[in-house]
Amino acid sequence: MNQRRLLILSIVGTGITSVTTQLVTIREFLTQFHGNEITISLSLFCWLLLTAMGSLAAKRVRRISLNTYGLLVLVIASWPLMQLIGIRQLREIFFTHGVSPGFYPVFFYIFVTIAPYCFLTGFILPCVQKILNAGHTDFTSGDLYLMDSIGDITGGALFSFVLVYWVKPFVTLAVTSTLLILTGLVLLFRSRSRTLLFAGLILATLFYIPALNSRFETGTLAGQYGHIEQYAESPFGRIVITKEASQYTLWESGTPLYSGSNVISSEEKIHYALSQLDRVQDVLLLSGGLGQTITEVEKYHPSRIDYVELDPALTTAAEKIGLIRSAPGLRIINTDGRSYVRTAREKYDAIIMDLPEPGTFQVNRFFTREFFALAGKILKPRGVLSISISYSPNYFSGIWKKKASSLYATLRHQFRHVLVLPGEKAYFLCRNGRLFTDIPSRLKVKSIRTTYVQGFFYGNVTAERIREIRNCLDPRAPVNSDFHPRLINRVFQQWFWEYGTSPDYFLLVLLAVVLAYLIFIQRKEYVLFATGMAGMGIEMLIIFAFQAVYGYIYLKIGAIVTAFLLGLLPGAAIGNIRRGNDRTRLIVSEVLLLGLLLLFYIWAIRFRTPLSPACYLIYGFLFSLVCGFQFPVIARMIGEHNSPAAGCLAADLAGASIGTFVTGTLLIPLLGIQPAIVFLMVIKGLSLGTVVLFKKGAIVK
Amino acid sequence: MTGMMTRKEFLKTMGLYGSALLCAGTGYAFGGQKTSEIEGIQGHIFKDDAPKAPWKWSIEGFHYETDGESVECQICPNRCQLAPGDRGICRSKVNIGGKLFSLTYGNPCAVHVDPIEKKPLNHFYPRSLIFSIATTGCNFRCLNCQNWEISQKKPEEVQHGELFPEDVVNEARRRRIPSVAYTYSEPTTFYEYMFDTAKLARQAGLKNVLVSNGYINTDPFLELCRYLDAANVNLKSFDNGIYRRLNGGTLAPVLKTFKNMHRQGVWFEMTTLVVPTYVDRPEMIRRMCGWILKELGPDYPLHFLRFFPRYKLTRLPATPVEILEELRDLAMKEGIRYVYVGNVPGHEGVHTYCHNCHRILIRRNGYFIERNNIKNGCCRFCGTRIPGRWGTL
Repeated sequence: MNQRRLLILSIVGTGITSVTTQLVTIREFLTQFHGNEITISLSLFCWLLLTAMGSLAAKRVRRISLNTYGLLVLVIASWPLMQLIGIRQLREIFFTHGVSPGFYPVFFYIFVTIAPYCFLTGFILPCVQKILNAGHTDFTSGDLYLMDSIGDITGGALFSFVLVYWVKPFVTLAVTSTLLILTGLVLLFRSRSRTLLFAGLILATLFYIPALNSRFETGTLAGQYGHIEQYAESPFGRIVITKEASQYTLWESGTPLYSGSNVISSEEKIHYALSQLDRVQDVLLLSGGLGQTITEVEKYHPSRIDYVELDPALTTAAEKIGLIRSAPGLRIINTDGRSYVRTAREKYDAIIMDLPEPGTFQVNRFFTREFFALAGKILKPRGVLSISISYSPNYFSGIWKKKASSLYATLRHQFRHVLVLPGEKAYFLCRNGRLFTDIPSRLKVKSIRTTYVQGFFYGNVTAERIREIRNCLDPRAPVNSDFHPRLINRVFQQWFWEYGTSPDYFLLVLLAVVLAYLIFIQRKEYVLFATGMAGMGIEMLIIFAFQAVYGYIYLKIGAIVTAFLLGLLPGAAIGNIRRGNDRTRLIVSEVLLLGLLLLFYIWAIRFRTPLSPACYLIYGFLFSLVCGFQFPVIARMIGEHNSPAAGCLAADLAGASIGTFVTGTLLIPLLGIQPAIVFLMVIKGLSLGTVVLFKKGAIVK
Repeated sequence: MTGMMTRKEFLKTMGLYGSALLCAGTGYAFGGQKTSEIEGIQGHIFKDDAPKAPWKWSIEGFHYETDGESVECQICPNRCQLAPGDRGICRSKVNIGGKLFSLTYGNPCAVHVDPIEKKPLNHFYPRSLIFSIATTGCNFRCLNCQNWEISQKKPEEVQHGELFPEDVVNEARRRRIPSVAYTYSEPTTFYEYMFDTAKLARQAGLKNVLVSNGYINTDPFLELCRYLDAANVNLKSFDNGIYRRLNGGTLAPVLKTFKNMHRQGVWFEMTTLVVPTYVDRPEMIRRMCGWILKELGPDYPLHFLRFFPRYKLTRLPATPVEILEELRDLAMKEGIRYVYVGNVPGHEGVHTYCHNCHRILIRRNGYFIERNNIKNGCCRFCGTRIPGRWGTL
């Protein structure tokens, strides 16, 4: 294989390994910290920003030797494993064991732990172009972008559709780094330096030995979890079962979901709801069917218990250790709960929801007006729905009142009566019939014995406490909807309130840095910045809208993400073709992007009807096709003699990082989906204006 | 002209230097914060955070020293030294014009009526109800605080009612509640409010109950003991390092509080929340029991509570019931006569057993008492005197 091909292969390899490392690392951060939208956005933001900084730093590099490049390639290939191990181990060093840190510690930790890798991957791409062009080959920035996109698509598809189902993170990294490791070794072999080659071989060996050792991998989690009985990775997260003495604890993505003998939670969630009914035949559990729960439901002798849980790995693991009791009429359904409710033909006497706080778009879908309308359709006329949120029993803060009021107002849209019982959590019982507060009396009439409720109810859920919580709920509070997820914002506010911090300093610094960056960059690079921002923003919005309508269908969401990646390739290929006036082509592409944003906006405002999943795929593909088109065009407009790759890559990535963070944590939660689209249209409009208003002579620097 | 920068070069240079400083500052802040977290999570004084003037719910502090400008609060071992305008670690005490003021006098943010067993107090007039009040503030920073919404906030940051000491007593009497509890957050931080209320409550024939972390200096505590009838004090662990890392305090002052209560004849019960991987070590519990027996004797009940993830400590499992049972057995073998298991409904460790004949004295079902075999403070079966405060109020 000649050197040029080898170097091009290394670009593809870098793309493959960087995308899979990104996915593995972000999933790791979600497991290590809060799995809320802020953490997701922060992780992506830091990743993209640091990669952009690496690309920017490459501007200063005039030349780089093949030996150095070969070594860098091997470092990039093997570093992800060290990074992952480092993230797991350093957490126990930098944070008190068992603690969930706040915003700033999480941000700094993410930033510091991924900085070396991201910086290097951003740095190396412009460098390889310099090597290629030093060999008197014509390898344009467009070619670089094209090859990198091939790698990104390959890595993304490989991870999302194959690896995540079959192997754990270490093996994932081992598989996806292989091309790059081989390329690096061949480059070092060709360098004829035995020392370097030997060093490379040692590095590769040191990489593969732990990477392919599953015991070692499990061992790296011991600091966080303790004694691990079972460990599985699924597309939805990490399932770990630990054993403390004789107690099993089931962890989902780093949070202890269930520990044995938790009778309080099981009894409250079941009996507050089911005791309302005269007869119980059909019960739907949306999550939370572990441990004592099914036993408590069985006390009502239902003929059917449908337990819906998204992740089959969770229910499989739980069944293995007896955390899901088998019962007559019990059916475990592994699918997205919202999707199930939307398509179910059965009708239920009770729908009992036991979900985490609505701090992600994924979970918020179960707290919306649209969802409760769907649930209402599968509830029998006098059926009851139960949903709960955490709270502090002795004091209701202003932020909590707003959150609870929003949920209350949303429920009141669907149900005539909503009763809130202040147990260990705040239980919202909803019905179009009468609701009873004296639960123990109801249980007595039904001859149902409980361990916790009957003994503690009158002391904990007093008439006064019920009255206090009712008095703090405002039925006129804003309703939480799919396209305006107000509850997410409340959950964010509560998180900051809990830690006594504010994101204001971060946002101010971010704004200052962005403004300073926009002062430095060329106007054409601004177009890429705006496109990067719009591209990531629209991808988040599309996935958000898809989830709201269809539910969290992993394969379909993976397909949407892949569609976005796939579109880059033909777009870059078309853009690479020198034909016509680049400025005109750029303007046309800007208008196309604006048009696509407008199309989405019109759908979000006027229709919101469920579209076929293919529509989301086609939209994503088209959008990213236009985005991909722009990169080589702008690079050519800047001029290859100006080495535009570094600046263009940096602008694209910087825009994407800002787009991720702003869309995910500010625009959607604060304003909703429509204003978010408008914001992106404004950004794109400004970049169109930049191209249109300045003449050719003024643009070229 | 040579040697002069263009505007763009200047901006670029400033931007680069600024970014470098930002990164350096980030690393320093991160490293510094982590170092201090590893050493302990003790709170800090809030500089220049006091209001300009005391508000309606203020009173001059009862225990402090001043040089006319700076003050040193003497209520708890933090001994906050406050310059004018500063606020103490507990967030409730401020220095205004060289005087120490409490901002939590008459403005409770939590007012409830609870069963006495909820405190938990199992040997203090069972079945009785207790009028429970709290303002904001705490001199600790416990990572698993159940009441963080009030304990880790300033009084200005919460919505509160108005119940001055006489109002508290009147309200309790109006509702026919025979006792008042100072609880939920940390009553040490509203010492003045608690003290004045307790005095009036005693005069009115009501009982006073303190639910606290025990982090209080001897002098103010001995004064308070004159009006205290009972207390539940947390013994969060028996390790100073754990006190620093999980709670932001230290162990020694808490032990002193127990000794003071014992000497003053205040009835008290001890609560230990068994946090997995921290407080579940048998050898530590053994040392703890040894100290209790030596300094306090065997009669004061010890409650081992099951931990559940809460507040910032959400990445630990619940305490295995088996561990609680082991620790309970260990404590009883060591000689502590009354050891309870809490947060495990239906467990046999919630009942009261005679330390002599081992028969059930009080059979509990949650807050209900299904059977009470204590007659005139003695076991009905063998006549042994059962430590506690019995009867009805």
